[in-house]
Amino acid sequence: MDTPSERIYLFNRLAKGWAVFRENLMGKIGLTLMIIFALMALASFFTPFLNPMYDPMTGVDPEISHATGPSLRHWLGTDFIGRDIFTQLLEGAKIAFMVGLSAAFISIVLGTIVGMFSGYMGGVVDTLLMRLADMIMVMPSLLILLLLSALFGQLNIWLIVLLIALLRWPGVSRVIRAQTLTLKQRPFIEAAKVAGASHLRVIFRHIMPNVLPLSFLYMTFRVTSAILVEAALAFLGFGDPSQVSWGMMLQWVWKTGHMFQAPYWLLPPGICISLLTLSFYMLGRAMDEVLDPRLRKEEHSD
Amino acid sequence: MLFRLAPGDPVARMVDPMWTPEEVEYVMSQLGLDQPIWTQYLFYLKNFFSGNFGVSFHYGEPVHEIIWKRLPNTILLFTTSTILAALAGVFFGKIAAWRKGSKSDTWMTISALVCHTLFVPWFALMLVWILGYKVGWFPLNGIISPEIWVDESSGFLVKALDVLHHMLLPLMTLFVVQMGSYLLLMRSSMLGTLKEDYIVTARAKGLSEKVIRNHHAARNAALPVITSIGLSLAFSINGGALTETVFTWPGIGKELVFAVSNNDYPLAQACFLLIAAVVLTANLIVDVLYAYLDPRIRY
Repeated sequence: MDTPSERIYLFNRLAKGWAVFRENLMGKIGLTLMIIFALMALASFFTPFLNPMYDPMTGVDPEISHATGPSLRHWLGTDFIGRDIFTQLLEGAKIAFMVGLSAAFISIVLGTIVGMFSGYMGGVVDTLLMRLADMIMVMPSLLILLLLSALFGQLNIWLIVLLIALLRWPGVSRVIRAQTLTLKQRPFIEAAKVAGASHLRVIFRHIMPNVLPLSFLYMTFRVTSAILVEAALAFLGFGDPSQVSWGMMLQWVWKTGHMFQAPYWLLPPGICISLLTLSFYMLGRAMDEVLDPRLRKEEHSD
Repeated sequence: MLFRLAPGDPVARMVDPMWTPEEVEYVMSQLGLDQPIWTQYLFYLKNFFSGNFGVSFHYGEPVHEIIWKRLPNTILLFTTSTILAALAGVFFGKIAAWRKGSKSDTWMTISALVCHTLFVPWFALMLVWILGYKVGWFPLNGIISPEIWVDESSGFLVKALDVLHHMLLPLMTLFVVQMGSYLLLMRSSMLGTLKEDYIVTARAKGLSEKVIRNHHAARNAALPVITSIGLSLAFSINGGALTETVFTWPGIGKELVFAVSNNDYPLAQACFLLIAAVVLTANLIVDVLYAYLDPRIRY
């Protein structure tokens, strides 16, 4: 990747990809939505400095101790103990990005490695890894997380991220395995082997660069499912109690019995979750078409 | 077995603080909780294979009785929604693929994406709020209205309609959630099928477009949708548990969430084992069905 001509080639490819991407309606919608949410997440770092009552978790308006509707002071109103809903919403965007991106990243790293080994090695390794993948794939991840949180008490947010990742790699590894199987037949792999490259070197130096675009494509779909699972877990009351996430906000509306009285509180978190997951999903589908139109498969699986 | 490692002492839940230590010990020995852990495990294995899952800590009833009571409700809700969603998904996916690139295709695809990425509990809450509370067309939760069931004079039809009335909102939620993915899958599968040679042959034979669409393309394209019913079951079960919880629909999913929140290990365990068994069996059935429907597949 270091010679200038390769760099120009890469640049051209990116430019071409961007041109295809810009033509894509879904890609445009997805990217716009995502930028808005990213700005929200950034803003959440500054609100507590404006006034301590704008802290999403501990900030309580000294004059308000119950749920109130939108006002100038609180753009989206306050929750049942007088915390500002708008700042909670900003904080929720931060948590959603954190959970979504990190869980998706860990799961694609795992999935890619397993998929490459499985496809490259074949035989018993392949069978064992893929049967394991099948087993994890058909299990409802939310319910497994529920059980684990029952076993270990309240789960920390990073533990939730890790568990989501551990339950979500099989989809990626299947795709990567299929791709590795076709790559394995190509002459350059044969050449590398003849030149004396070890298995590990072939896998990481020759196969990995060719499957990485596919991995990153699947990362966008994983972000969607990770955000949804975390939100659902928080909604059921098994989230990290020290973090304000959108699922947690919905749980507060639901459990404190405000859902019929406080639409200003019920609507925003749900709309945010649905739109953010939608934006990642649309971005993924748009990238799908940019990378390879023939790859439209498996995206339904979760 | 893993459940015994969990924090939260189930005995503390049942035991009245007024009891004497002897009474507490008696209850413990009745439940077998005073035995060493490996004896408990052997008992567990024996009971597991004889279909005895123990007594629920919360209800004080045998777990299998609770499960038998809840299972029909879940099956009713789940199969109805899955069948309706798959049919609708195949139907609209077929049309979307047939009119690829048109305005109706774009809208159908985008709405399917929205359905697929929707946050289930929130959507359920919105339905309750708008259709249940604001407009008042549907009951807010539960499965039956007690006053109808207590009334001796109400016949079977009235009772059935009552259940249906309660079922519509959860059904709508699950239907919307599941339909999105079936539509997307059918669309992409149909797009692949339309490129096949036999479609060209059908055109060349002069068959009408409708016949080509419905008999030649859609039939073949629907096959992957059938497999996906098995694969996406995990996704639907997550959605189902959330839907049941929000609507307090007395099914397995709601019972599992409830049992987990209340440290009711025997119940949680049995619900989870049941769900795992259902998922594995369903995938097996789907594989067999697929081979039966598609003669090209031979194992």
